[in-house]
Amino acid sequence: MASNEEGSIGTSLHGVTAKEQVFSFSADASSQIVPSDDPTAKFALPVDSEHRAKVFNPLSFAKPHMRAFHLGWVSFFTCFISTFAAAPLVPIIRDNLDLTKTDIGNAGVASVSGAIFSRLAMGAVCDLLGARYGTAFSLMLTAPMVFTMSFVTGPVGYLAVRFMIGFCLATFVSCQYWTSVMFNGKIIGLVNGCAGGWGDMGGGVTQLLMPMVFHVIKLAGATPFMAWRIAFFVPGFLQVVMGILVLTFGQDLPDGNLSTLQKSGQVSKDKFSKVFWFAVKNYRTWILFVLYGFSMGIELTINNVISGYFFDRFNLKLQTAGIVASSFGMANFFARPFGGYASDVAARLFGMRGRLWILWIFQTVGALFCIWLGRANSLPIAILAMILFSIGTQAACGALFGVAPFVSRRSLGLISGLTGAGGNFGSGLTQLLFFSSSRFSTAEGLSLMGAMAVLCTLPVAFIHFPQWGSMFLRPSRDGERSKEEYYYSSEWTEDEKQQGLHEGSIKFAENSRSERSRKVALADFPTPESGTLTNV
Amino acid sequence: MAIHKIILASFQICLLIQFSHGATKERLFSDLEKGALDVTAKPSRQGVLDAGIDKLSITWKLSSTAKTQASFKTIKVKLCYAPVSQVDRPWRKTENELFKDKTCPHKIITKAYNKSSQSFKYTLERDIPTGTYFVRAYAVDAKDHEVAYGQSTKEAKTTNLFSVQAISGRHKSLDIASICFSVFAVLALLVFFVNEKRKAKIEQSK
Repeated sequence: MASNEEGSIGTSLHGVTAKEQVFSFSADASSQIVPSDDPTAKFALPVDSEHRAKVFNPLSFAKPHMRAFHLGWVSFFTCFISTFAAAPLVPIIRDNLDLTKTDIGNAGVASVSGAIFSRLAMGAVCDLLGARYGTAFSLMLTAPMVFTMSFVTGPVGYLAVRFMIGFCLATFVSCQYWTSVMFNGKIIGLVNGCAGGWGDMGGGVTQLLMPMVFHVIKLAGATPFMAWRIAFFVPGFLQVVMGILVLTFGQDLPDGNLSTLQKSGQVSKDKFSKVFWFAVKNYRTWILFVLYGFSMGIELTINNVISGYFFDRFNLKLQTAGIVASSFGMANFFARPFGGYASDVAARLFGMRGRLWILWIFQTVGALFCIWLGRANSLPIAILAMILFSIGTQAACGALFGVAPFVSRRSLGLISGLTGAGGNFGSGLTQLLFFSSSRFSTAEGLSLMGAMAVLCTLPVAFIHFPQWGSMFLRPSRDGERSKEEYYYSSEWTEDEKQQGLHEGSIKFAENSRSERSRKVALADFPTPESGTLTNV
Repeated sequence: MAIHKIILASFQICLLIQFSHGATKERLFSDLEKGALDVTAKPSRQGVLDAGIDKLSITWKLSSTAKTQASFKTIKVKLCYAPVSQVDRPWRKTENELFKDKTCPHKIITKAYNKSSQSFKYTLERDIPTGTYFVRAYAVDAKDHEVAYGQSTKEAKTTNLFSVQAISGRHKSLDIASICFSVFAVLALLVFFVNEKRKAKIEQSK
């Protein structure tokens, strides 16, 4: 069936999918692929012509592919632990540092703001130095910030340290980049969905881990105000360990490391200014920016506020509040991949329209449960609301990255980076509006945030593709504009088309026919079924 | 379908638990007898007290105006936040419902009720945060319900307050360990980076 072959793009559960190079700087896959003397026999997993793995085996640690996957997602996971490590300990920290609610809220905003910029910069770093160094830089250079928590004595220091730790969330980009060069386009959706979801779980695990570490240190004799500082050594140490593992056991590309390989072949790097312009000019980029801000954004906000909420509102002990709060982040293990999978299934049945509806449904349902969470007066109802909320929101994150790869082919990497930055922006905004002052109680803040998310999910109805339509409108009837090729090649000027620079986009356009609804795809083109896909 | 049933069942269980919990929580602070105990709290020195070091001399006795002393079983003495330390800190908020009230989270001592004057020398614990405080003694009956109280300040909670400075929680050994680990992290990265660049140069020159 056509969709199986073309599933290479359709299976975009998450992340920067596309079979070829995904970053803003290079449009040509061959720029970083090196022909090696040895055939594919030396790899533990079956590979394609670019030596990317065609099979995803999460239980294996074989080099280089699965090793890269595991190093990548665990690094990302570790960074999530560090960024949100303060959150479950806030009830202790606020007493030690004499913080007000405003101080705590501002530090929460700061903790997610740094990544807005570092995520954008990480793309360039990976292009220049490889995913290994991108990840290692992120881990090793922010580890000192985590250790610096032991010096903090007041709200200003607290905010500054949390801001600087937050930079490490750029590992999201390096992790996705790494898996994208290691895994074939047909499975990249699932791989990226797992890497993203399992990494995000760190935000849940930290709510469990930090109170437990704190408790053990207290039992060993430290006072609470010293114990929380010692507890911060754990995420810091994890980061250093992961950094060393990545540098020692990781490999940038299937064939070796970037610096030791000789690069041959065409190096047709795209111009950043062009890539940037086409990303920014496309209105859909900004709609995705807002949407991700209210799915991933509120997820990041919840990571910062939920433990303290259960501690204060329901009078739970610190560890108990942590256990309850952690179930929010842990749902990522299956919820995010599930969202991407549901998006793919919807695309098979209804094309792009199905993807957009799934995105809207998951995100709105999640937001409605967020409203319910704020209004729940008893612990069991609050927990139930929170779990349903987490599933809806995290599935929406996965579903959004089922749509993102189709918005642009030329600026794919930058759009993914911008969308990711939108998540952090949304988190900063919601924390600033609802959780940084005493105007609203935390419960009211939660409900208001859910309501705002419902409103800000409505723009998904405006995402319209001439070739596939939108939630409510049909695809364009015009013979020219209803072709995928028209949409993707409109990102290139005539000159560039003359030089044939847009060939990659044309190939992508052919493959993206999977996004037509089933009846349309079957009706007009017999060719997709005969599997004319080359170079998947 | 199985998922639907599970969600429905857990929802019903949650409702049941909620309703069964509802009835018992309505005891209010305003129902307690005010000023049933005369409480004084004298700091061991002038100025801002240091947590973990300075002491408070606390005394309490039955007030001449008390009416409900027949039901007093135990006296719970607690350290409470003055209004100035509650500003912009909703986790220290004063609420009328006793179970929600967060004004007095720090326990000082619990003693059996005795109508003669009692006293206690309290060393400020090392987990007391920086702030302004007063002392309150609750009189509790046999069912562990508060019946009356007395406090070391007036009703407006603006007089007879004392300030506490918390311990910093920092320690030199922590600072040193932190610097060592940080330097190690940055150095390790540099070493790897430089090493690989060197190896790459050697490879290329071959």
